[in-house]
Amino acid sequence: MANNYLTSESKKLATWYFTFAAILFGAQLLFGLVAAIQYVMPGFLFEILDFSVARTVHINALVIWMVFAMMGSVYWLLPDETGIETVGIGLGKLFYWVFVAAIVVVVLVYLFVQVGPADQTTIWFIMEGREYLEAPRWADIGIVVVVLGFIYNLYATGMKGKRTGIVTVLMADMLAFAGIYLAGMGYTDNISVDQFWWWWVIHLWVEATWEVFVGAIAAYGLIHMIGAHRKVVEMWLWIEVAMLFGSGILGIGHHYFWIGTPEYWWEIGALFSALEPLPLVAMFIHVLYDWGKQQGAQEAQGKEVSVVTNKPAFTWFVLQAFGNFLGAGVWGFFHTFPQVNLYTHGTQFTSAHGHLAFFGAYATILIGMFYIAVQNKNGIKVMKATKKSIWATCMIFGGVLGMTVALTLAGYVQVLVSRAQMGATWAGYFDGQAGIWFAQGMDWRLIMGVVTFIGFIILIKDLLSIGSATHHER
Amino acid sequence: MAQKSVWSDNRFWQRSASWITGFAAMLLIWLTFDTIPQIMMGNDTDIKEGVTKRVPGPTVINYKITYEMSKRRGHEIPVIGGANAEGTSSFQEKELFFGRDDWSQEEAMEMLALGKLASQAKNCMNCHTLLGNGAYYAPDLTKSWLDPMWGPEGPLQAMTGKSTKEEAMAEFLINPSQYPTHARMMPKLGITAAEAKGLVAFLKHMSTIDTNGFPRNFGKIKGAVHGK
Amino acid sequence: MVEEALILQDIHIDDFLTIFVSAGLVLVFGGFYVGIYTAVKAELLKPWIMPFAYIAWLCTAYCLYLMGSLMHVNDFTAKTLVVAGLSLLLIPHAVYYMLRRVHEENEYIHEENEEYVHEENEQHVQAKNEH
Ligand code: HEM
Ligand code: HEM
Ligand SMILES: [Fe+2]
Repeated sequence: MANNYLTSESKKLATWYFTFAAILFGAQLLFGLVAAIQYVMPGFLFEILDFSVARTVHINALVIWMVFAMMGSVYWLLPDETGIETVGIGLGKLFYWVFVAAIVVVVLVYLFVQVGPADQTTIWFIMEGREYLEAPRWADIGIVVVVLGFIYNLYATGMKGKRTGIVTVLMADMLAFAGIYLAGMGYTDNISVDQFWWWWVIHLWVEATWEVFVGAIAAYGLIHMIGAHRKVVEMWLWIEVAMLFGSGILGIGHHYFWIGTPEYWWEIGALFSALEPLPLVAMFIHVLYDWGKQQGAQEAQGKEVSVVTNKPAFTWFVLQAFGNFLGAGVWGFFHTFPQVNLYTHGTQFTSAHGHLAFFGAYATILIGMFYIAVQNKNGIKVMKATKKSIWATCMIFGGVLGMTVALTLAGYVQVLVSRAQMGATWAGYFDGQAGIWFAQGMDWRLIMGVVTFIGFIILIKDLLSIGSATHHER
Repeated sequence: MAQKSVWSDNRFWQRSASWITGFAAMLLIWLTFDTIPQIMMGNDTDIKEGVTKRVPGPTVINYKITYEMSKRRGHEIPVIGGANAEGTSSFQEKELFFGRDDWSQEEAMEMLALGKLASQAKNCMNCHTLLGNGAYYAPDLTKSWLDPMWGPEGPLQAMTGKSTKEEAMAEFLINPSQYPTHARMMPKLGITAAEAKGLVAFLKHMSTIDTNGFPRNFGKIKGAVHGK
Repeated sequence: MVEEALILQDIHIDDFLTIFVSAGLVLVFGGFYVGIYTAVKAELLKPWIMPFAYIAWLCTAYCLYLMGSLMHVNDFTAKTLVVAGLSLLLIPHAVYYMLRRVHEENEYIHEENEEYVHEENEQHVQAKNEH
C-alpha cells in the first residue's frame, strides 16, 4: 500500500480491526451461500459441512465482524473526539492479536470438530449450541477479557481527553454492551430460562446497545463528513438514546410471547416494540434534515459543490438510515404483535427481517467507516465515488433487498400452509417447504445472495484501489 | 434572537435519556424477578399434588401428554395426564416411557439434563427451532413429541420398525440419515443411545411447557389447502 | 395478571395478506408523512404540498385500524395502536420545533460567542490536518 498518512496510532489500530472485519464479512457471505445452496440442493456437502455448521459460521462471522468493526470505529474516532491519542494502544494491539487468534481457533473447531458428546467439555471447548452464542465457554471468557481491555482504553482516553457527548454516549453504551454479554454465558437445564437470558443478549444488543452505538457513529459521521453542527447533532444523539432505550429495552417482550414466560409479556412486548420504529423514523429524518440544511447553507453562500467530504462513506451512512428504518422498522413492525407473531414466529419471515435489519442497520454504516478509514489513510480531502463504489453499493444493497423480498414471500407461504393451517407439525412444515412460491423464494434468495457476494468482491477491490484514484481532492 | 429553551439544552436531554434508560432497565429487572420464578422447573411433588407449572417437573415423562384447546385461555395448552373438569392437567393418566412409568425425580432429571446438554452439543438449534427460536431448515421441535408423524399411525414410527414413539424417535436420532423422510435429511451427529434417550425425554418435557398457545392449531388440519 | 384472553380468534386465512400489506404500509405512509413534513419545513418542497403529509398520516391511521381489526386485537393492543399512531403524528412537530430552536440558538451563539465556534472549528481543522 502506498504512503500511510495516518499519524495516530489509534487510527492505525482501527484499520487493523477494519481489515479483519472485512475478511470475516467475506467468510460470512461464503458460508451463507453454502447454507442457501443447501436449501435448494439438500445433498450439497451433506454430512461433510452440514447446514447447521455453515449457518453457525455464517451468523458467528456476522456478529464478530460487526464487533470488530465497532471496536475499530471507536479506536478511529477517539483521537478526533477527545483530542488526544488513545490511552493503552499497546494493550489494544496485543488484544487485537489475541482476539484474532481466538476467533480463528473457534472457527476451525466449528468446521472440523463440529459437534461433541453431551457433556460440559463440549460446552467449554467445542460448541455451546445456542444460536449466535455458539462460541464455546473458553472463548466467551476470552471475549470478556478482550472487551474489558477495550473498555479500559475507552474510559481512560475519555477521562483524560475532552469528553464530548459522543464519547460519553459510547462509554455508557459499550459498558452495557459488554455487561449484557454475561447474561448469555451460563448453562441451565431449563430451556425456558435458557431462552429468557439468551434474548437478553440478542435483543438487548441489536435493539438497544447496538442501535445507540450506530446513533453515535452516525453523529460522528455527520459532523465530520458534512460539517453538521456538533451541538445540534449531540442533542439529537441524546434524544435518540432516550427513544431507543425507552422503547428497545422493554421491547424485549416481543420475544417472550411463547417461550414459557407469562402472558403479561404480550402487552409489554406489543406496546414497547410497536414504539421501536419511531426512533428509527426520527434518525432517518435527522440525517436528511442535517444534510439538506448544510447543503442549503453552502449553496446560500453561492458554492454549488457538495458539502460531503466522502461520497461513498456518506452514501452508506444514508443507506444506513434508510435500511435501519426498512429492516428493523418496517419488517420488525410486520411481526411484532403477538396476534401475528403467533403465526410468523420462527418462519422465513423472521429470517427476512433478520437479514434486512442486521444489514440495513449495521453492515451499511460499518462499510461507511471502512471508506472513512481509506480516505484518511490516503490523505484525501474530498473523496469521490468510483464506478466500483457505485456498483458495489447497488449490488450489495440490491442483493440483500432481493433476498429479503424472496424470504418474505417464502415466509408468507409458510405462514399460510405450515402455521395457520397445519400448526407447525412435521408434515405441515414440509408441505410448506414444498409450496411452489416457497421453492422459488429459495431459488431467488440464492441468486440474490450471489449478487450480494459479487457486490462484496467489488467492494473489497474498491476499498483497496479507491485511494489511488486521481479524481479526489487532496 | 431566540431565547434559550430547555428543549434545546443538551444537559436536559442527557438527563432525560439517563432517567428513561434507568427507568426502563429497572422495570425490566423487576419483571425479570417476577418472571423467572414463574418459569423455574417444577418437581415431582407439584405433579403429585396436581399443581400446574408453566415449566413442569421432569417426571411428566411418566404421563400421557396432550395439547388441547382451553376455553378459558382461548388457545391450546399442554394437558398432562388427562384433563380434569376445567380442561387443565389432572396428572392421572400415566404412559410408559422406555418401558417404565415410575421414573423418579432424580432419574428423570438426569435424562432431561443429558438431553438438554445434547441438544446444545449437537447444535440442534442451527437447523430446527425450539420454542420457535433457532433455524428454519427443519421442523419446529416445540411439540414434536405430540407430532402425529411419530404416533402409532405415523409413517415415521413404522419406518424405524419400533413399536413405541420414544424408541422410534431415539432410533431416528441415532441414525437419522438411514431413515430419509425427505430430500432434506438430518445428518448423523454421533448421538449415542443414552444421549438419544435423554433427547427424547427433553423433547417430551418441552411439549409440556406452557407456551401461551404456540403453536396454534397444531395438527388440526391434516393436509394443506392453500398455497401450493 | 391478565384476565381476558388476548388471542381468542384465529386469523382468517384470507386476511393474512391484508394484514401484512397494511402493516408494511403503516410505516411506508408514516415515512411519507414524516418525509413530506420535513421536506416542506426544510424548504425542499413547496408549502402547498403539506396537506399531502397529513393525508399520508390518515392513510397510516387507516392501515393501523385495518391491521388491528383483522388481527382481532383486544382493547389493550388497540390502545397501543392508537398511542403509536398519535406519537407518529406528534414526533415530527416536536422534532422540528426543537431543531429550529437549536439552530436559532446556535446562530445566536455564532454572533455572541465567536470563541466557542472558533475553538470547535480549529479542532476540526486540526484533526483533518493530522491525516
Ligand atoms: C437493527 C435492529 C434489529 C435487528 C438487527 C434485528 C434482528 C433480528 C433477528 C436476527 C431476529 C431473529 C432472531 C432469531 O434468530 O431467532 C429478530 C427477531 C425479531 N425481531 Fe428484530 N431486529 C431488529 C429490530 C427489530 C425491531 C425494531 C422490531 C419491532 C418493531 C423487531 C421485531 C422482531 C421480532 C418480533 C422478532 C421475533 C421473530 C420471531 O418471532 O421469530 N426487531 N430480529
Ligand atoms: C450472500 C448472501 C447471504 C446468504 C446466501 C445468506 C443465507 C443465509 C441462510 C441460508 C441463513 C439460514 C436461515 C435459516 O435458518 O433458514 C441465514 C441466516 C442469517 N443470516 Fe444470512 N445470508 C447472506 C447474507 C447475510 C447478510 C449480509 C446478513 C447481515 C448483515 C445476514 C444475516 C443473517 C442472520 C442474522 C441470520 C439468522 C436469521 C434468523 O435466525 O432469523 N446474512 N443466512
Ligand atoms: Fe427484538
